[in-house]
Amino acid sequence: MPVLEVVGVSKTFGSGELAVQALKPATFSVEAGELVALLGPSGSGKSTLLLSISLILEPTAGRIVINGQTVYDNGWTGVDERAFRRKNIGFIFQQHNLIPFLTAQENVALALQLNGVGRREAARRAKELLGYLEIAHRADSLPANLSGGEQQRVAIGRALANEPPLILADEPTAALDTERGTKVMALLRKIARERRSAVITVTHDHRMIEGFDTVYHLDDGHLSRMAEAESSAA
Amino acid sequence: MDLAFKDIRRHLGKFVATIAGVAMLLAIVLVMNGIYQGNIADGVWLIENTATDLWVVERGRGGPFNEPSRLPADAYKSVAATPGVAQASPYVIYTAQRAIGGSDKQFTIVGYDVFGGLGGPGRIVRGRAIEAPHYEMVADAKLGVALGERVPLGERVYTVVGLTRGAVDSAGNPLVYLSLPDAQEVQYEQDKRALVAARAANLQRLERAGYTPEQAAKLLPLLAAPTNTINAVLVRLAPGADTEAVRSQIADWLYFNVYTADEERALMLEGRLRRMSAVLALFRALLVIVSIVIIALIVYVLTIEKIKSIATLKLIGAPNFVIVRLILEQSLALTFASFALAYALRELIAPRFPRTLAFLPEETAATFLVMLVGGVVASFMAIWHALRTPPQLALGG
Repeated sequence: MPVLEVVGVSKTFGSGELAVQALKPATFSVEAGELVALLGPSGSGKSTLLLSISLILEPTAGRIVINGQTVYDNGWTGVDERAFRRKNIGFIFQQHNLIPFLTAQENVALALQLNGVGRREAARRAKELLGYLEIAHRADSLPANLSGGEQQRVAIGRALANEPPLILADEPTAALDTERGTKVMALLRKIARERRSAVITVTHDHRMIEGFDTVYHLDDGHLSRMAEAESSAA
Repeated sequence: MDLAFKDIRRHLGKFVATIAGVAMLLAIVLVMNGIYQGNIADGVWLIENTATDLWVVERGRGGPFNEPSRLPADAYKSVAATPGVAQASPYVIYTAQRAIGGSDKQFTIVGYDVFGGLGGPGRIVRGRAIEAPHYEMVADAKLGVALGERVPLGERVYTVVGLTRGAVDSAGNPLVYLSLPDAQEVQYEQDKRALVAARAANLQRLERAGYTPEQAAKLLPLLAAPTNTINAVLVRLAPGADTEAVRSQIADWLYFNVYTADEERALMLEGRLRRMSAVLALFRALLVIVSIVIIALIVYVLTIEKIKSIATLKLIGAPNFVIVRLILEQSLALTFASFALAYALRELIAPRFPRTLAFLPEETAATFLVMLVGGVVASFMAIWHALRTPPQLALGG
């Protein structure tokens, strides 16, 4: 069973003559342990698709199934979107978005505590996760005292904390240099393989697409697999 | 996880500065509470500490505190003869300002019948009551005189034989008790040259009216202003006497105004103290509003500063109560800490304050409650903004 099924999902902003179809009907699925890249220039519809999968932006039509639960079927199905996100989706951001007044360990533990894990258990698991991400020695540092790469590792730790089946990464390497970006991508691959999470990475950086299991390309709201896109371009 | 206090820890400097600022404003509010109640306590102190059932004053006057009242010196005898009156005593009260101990002091002189009459000092903390008919005084410690000190008032020198504590007039000035004739002498004492000039002027006036110098000299004492008037008669009722009947008797037959102690108190509160109380109440309200506005702005600014963190919290699934709690706790922490510091400042200021400060625990509690509710209301704007923040704000660069 795929972790994510997107069937004919489209999004149109406005109506009548002013209507703009930001996302044309898109269909794809992501399996557990699969690392997927979503490539495309600015304004191609990447964010619209990401927000729709995140249960933040309501699509116009289609169906979205996450971890076997239909969350959208030509309308929201009534799931508590925040509770659903807490349990099923991990987010990794371009600017890391760590809570600046929490230490690295507290940032990771926060995600666990929001999901009902007790304070001590959350701290223990956060420390363990930071160890897995090879950053346990910076557990007590505030984000401002961490390098960009270290901050991104902590952010990845927070995304993994609740062991969500789906991880959405929004330009996770954009704020990093090539070396650090490559390391982060290697880490995401490791996570997908070892933790059996489906990882969708939105990027416009073609340098980083090596090692992805599947690459989708979005152009003017049209989603296609990379091989198809390349052939149609040819 | 207590996000609010972790954020405070990070912005400690800003928080401490805000708390210090708001605390100073609140300390002023608390001290003003004390001034307000002190104003009332001072205003009614003399009324509440004069053991009398009725105050008899000049007809048509609201005296003797709110406006001048003059009665003939022997008026108390007529009052004493009224059925139902157990005791009636003459009473003199006026404000004076004289140089005492090298500096000008304002005080109120109370003249009373020192031989068993009503209106004398209540509790004497040091020394004794006045026992001699002349030249002894009982003063409040606030006047700054010592027991046994000799204080010149006009032509005479008075010995301090007793000290009271907290005996003040409605303006907070200390009371000085003298025997009735001494108080009258000090009140009407005139400069010798002024007396000579007045006497000469009166003589000329009589001579111009056609009197011979001999006749004028004989008539002269009649033109002199009376110097033995009193300001009120204090009445103690006989056991079982009907207050209303006694009052009517005195008012109808002796043609005086009569007030019970409660009415005298009400006259003071509604008259002299009302405007000042209203001004103090207005200032207190304004300062509380300013304090709440400052807290609101600080909480709002702190919320705006972490709006991306709030969006991130929403995106990773934090329920609204986590965000509301974060803002509300900071607002309440500001309010609590500011009030605690303000209270400490008040305790520091109070003993050194030049006026009487009277603090009512229920008023302090009410101020705290107003601030607490204000602190909660102050956070509404920030909460509203935070709850409207879209989670997608966390995405993108």
